[in-house]
Amino acid sequence: MSAGGSDGTADRPADLAADGECPEQAGSSLPAAELPRKRKGDVEERSGTHGQQSVDFQMDDDLSRSEGEDQQVKMKCFREPHRQIEKRRRDKMNTLIDELAAMIPACQPMARKLDKLTVLRKAVQHLKALKVGTGSAFTDTTSKPSILSHDDLKHLLLRAVDGFLLVVSCDRAKILFISESVSKILNLSRLELTGQSLFDFIHPKDINKVKEQLSSSEYPRQCLIDAATGVQVQVDAPARPPLLSTGARRSFFCRLKHSRVVGKQDKHFLPCTSKKKDSSRYCTLHCTGYMRSCPSSQLDSECDGEMESSDLSCLVTVCRLLTPVSHQPPKELTIRPSEFVTRWAIDGKFTFVEQQATTIIGYLPQEVLGTSCYEYFHQDDLLHLADKHRQVLRSKEKIETRCYKFKTKYGSYVSLQSQWFSFTNPWTKEVEFIVSSNQVISRGPGHTKDEEAGNSKALQEDTKQIPIIPGLSSGLGTMIYAGSIGTQIANELMDSYSRMNSSPSSGACSPFGPAQEKCPVVSPLTSTSASSREEASGSSSQSQCDSRTAAGASSATSESLAAVSRININPIQGETSQLDLDLVPGLSSFSSDEAAMAVIMSLLETDVNMGQSGDFEDLHWPF
Amino acid sequence: MKADKEKRRMISRDAARRRRRVESEVFAELSRLLPLQQSVQDHLDKPSVIRLTLSYIRMHTLLKGITGKKAEASHAVKCEQVMESGEEWRGCDRGRDDEEKKTDDVEASEETNMFLRILEGFLIVLSTEGDMIYLSDNVSKYMGLTQTELMGHNIFEFTHPCDHEEIRNNLRLTAEVWCGAKRDFVMRIKGALTHRGRSSNLKSATWKVLHCQGRAKVCVAPSSVSCLLLTCQPLPLSHTLLSTHTFTSQHSMDMRFTYCDQRITLLLGYSTEELLGRSIYDLCHTLDTNCLTKNHLNLCLKSQSVSGQYRMLVRGGGYVWVESHSAVIPSVRPSKSRPGAHQPLCILCVTYVLSGVEEPSLQLSLDQTVHRYLR
Repeated sequence: MSAGGSDGTADRPADLAADGECPEQAGSSLPAAELPRKRKGDVEERSGTHGQQSVDFQMDDDLSRSEGEDQQVKMKCFREPHRQIEKRRRDKMNTLIDELAAMIPACQPMARKLDKLTVLRKAVQHLKALKVGTGSAFTDTTSKPSILSHDDLKHLLLRAVDGFLLVVSCDRAKILFISESVSKILNLSRLELTGQSLFDFIHPKDINKVKEQLSSSEYPRQCLIDAATGVQVQVDAPARPPLLSTGARRSFFCRLKHSRVVGKQDKHFLPCTSKKKDSSRYCTLHCTGYMRSCPSSQLDSECDGEMESSDLSCLVTVCRLLTPVSHQPPKELTIRPSEFVTRWAIDGKFTFVEQQATTIIGYLPQEVLGTSCYEYFHQDDLLHLADKHRQVLRSKEKIETRCYKFKTKYGSYVSLQSQWFSFTNPWTKEVEFIVSSNQVISRGPGHTKDEEAGNSKALQEDTKQIPIIPGLSSGLGTMIYAGSIGTQIANELMDSYSRMNSSPSSGACSPFGPAQEKCPVVSPLTSTSASSREEASGSSSQSQCDSRTAAGASSATSESLAAVSRININPIQGETSQLDLDLVPGLSSFSSDEAAMAVIMSLLETDVNMGQSGDFEDLHWPF
Repeated sequence: MKADKEKRRMISRDAARRRRRVESEVFAELSRLLPLQQSVQDHLDKPSVIRLTLSYIRMHTLLKGITGKKAEASHAVKCEQVMESGEEWRGCDRGRDDEEKKTDDVEASEETNMFLRILEGFLIVLSTEGDMIYLSDNVSKYMGLTQTELMGHNIFEFTHPCDHEEIRNNLRLTAEVWCGAKRDFVMRIKGALTHRGRSSNLKSATWKVLHCQGRAKVCVAPSSVSCLLLTCQPLPLSHTLLSTHTFTSQHSMDMRFTYCDQRITLLLGYSTEELLGRSIYDLCHTLDTNCLTKNHLNLCLKSQSVSGQYRMLVRGGGYVWVESHSAVIPSVRPSKSRPGAHQPLCILCVTYVLSGVEEPSLQLSLDQTVHRYLR
């Protein structure tokens, strides 16, 4: 720290001097002044001065270069980006110094941030200490110095590559050299493999393949792709004299025996001629390498003494173990969840359902087309989804829903989250359809048929708990009712198109008030619908409906009926209603006159949609 | 007054010069300590010195974690094995003399050099943030940039932005990493090599497709460091087809066969005519569609790919394990009148058959049943 210390004492006057003299230097006042300001927060002044130093250094250079020239403006222009470059350089340097400080154990316990010079000095000390520890790689001055010792590199390679080096002679596939790492992969020691014939270890079916690879007499067929033109060229390469470094390349896969237990391979190693079925295990290796000619002098002593030919060709390969890497994205990642797209008309009826949806909702597209999406929404979500529906019809943006439940074919629910977007016809300026992009948030409690029974049972229990639909099978009742919601909302929109002024009560109101209110709303609805169905002619139902409007609660029902009727009979026109109920928005726009007709129509509609005659036996007729 | 100011100015300049000198000296000392060649050491700029120092320290820490235990383990095994074979052993103590260490080192160096040369790739050690802590020195052969230029930098500065997410996914530490999870992916990296193999500068870099294989490594002691060890091989565009167990095929970009060489008949039983127009997805085991999809995507995005091992269905029943190396090339259509015209692309695949026919009686597709009955 002594150097730092002396610098410190020298700094003070220097600082002041620097500050003092800077304004005199043309154009340099700003950067110099900037620095101390910037470093106000820092504890150390020294690095600040160091930084300043470098700036001064640069500035000095600049000045010395352009001194004598009256180019203050030019210099200023030059300095602007230059300052930025300088700043970046300084920041980078500081980051590096910080990182270095973090790595050096000696610097870590310091509470204060150390200055640059100190960190560097500590780094020097650290490196010296490391050198002493590692020893041979650096004391050996003859070998090329490298960041890692060769041994270390070898270890790293071993970790990265599950492979070993293999040199086999071409004539008899004798293993001339095999690296130590083979023990890790095949569980067979290097010693017992060297000198053996490779064929003893290869899977019988691969022997021919390997024989092919070892034979260099054939002209190798090469499939080359000319990088320039991309033309595929099949070349019969002439048998080049195999040079040491550029021999013909070989690449093949083969299966080699491997032993299960380390060190006890003798018992498992059965020669291929044994009568017992060879039950060894094999692992697949990818062998790449090239042919090489080795003068016999280089061969190991294990080599056959008779081999006197000057050129023995051998195959030098690296054999890597193939372990299947899973191509599935890891589960921890946010995989794009299952998605499907649907399109609906403004009243919520599906007009398009993507094929993929079937895997999620269980229904085939054709089963769902024409039905209202509200039939599939869970009751608890109807409120919020209707609200969003209303919103999307009026907004040009994507509306995102919260997580909601969608009923699948098998009765269970799947949690979805959707983005809705309405498409407006540019000429008529009316909303044509709504595109819904739905993502599965999490799978429901299984949507296989096995769990269907369990699920529907659960649902029935649920419905029993909810007082709103006493005795009703949740499916039917909600469907009738639910289907109408969409139409109501659509109708509102239609109204707004036609009227462009008074929009029916919306926004805050929801079709479903608190649970207790639902009761009178729903059951009279179904009851009225049932009753009106009975009286298909419909004239008298009107009066019945009217009588029901007397009851405060049921008026809502009739309003909803009216709403329904509105849609079916007079889809465009709407009237303001006398009664204004918050329970079902939009109802106020309809009179109760055509309630019966509406009900009939809706029933018929749902009948058609569901493809079954409504089973009204379960419906509870309160009257 | 002015003289005073002048004096102060001089003092400050001197002080500044002194400071700079001291700093440069420390930097020089640091660079000399780095195990690099003298010529390289002298030309390092200050940030590089720090970068390399950092890398060196990090590698050291890492290796202590990796090799510390391993060295002991392998040594123990060696002792055992030697004893079993009855050879004389001077003693299993760790005090080996320098001479032995030297020969070991030389042997190791030869082996690793040969290994890397045959592999035709380089080794890279990545930190979890993507910093290239270490690269083997043959990286200059494949990337045109030297080890010292690259070490310490972040890999994201050199790879194609579209591949960053995939790289990040591979760097991510997952639970499987503790069991030595393997990594295998393809990425594009800047290669500053000219067509002839000379190094050019980074500004005229082209994208090179690298096949990276390796594993993640987590060291708990002495300090918890984790990294990714990878060998990166540029995917070659030429394959030596010696074996009868490989065949080439050409596909349109949607992986439908447009050409297939005759060897497929011997290996899989299909005639080349019946394959034309059929998609490869039809001919493979359904459980391997993920593998094929990934391969296909790699081809479309990166223009070269190595599939993993997947199964191709044999005509009549059963399947074989194969691996394909593919590349996207302009299809062969000489057009001299319009040489610059956009040529339609096609996919060229070289498929290696790894196994024999497995489970020949297993019918996995309708096709196979048809053929079986028609036989």
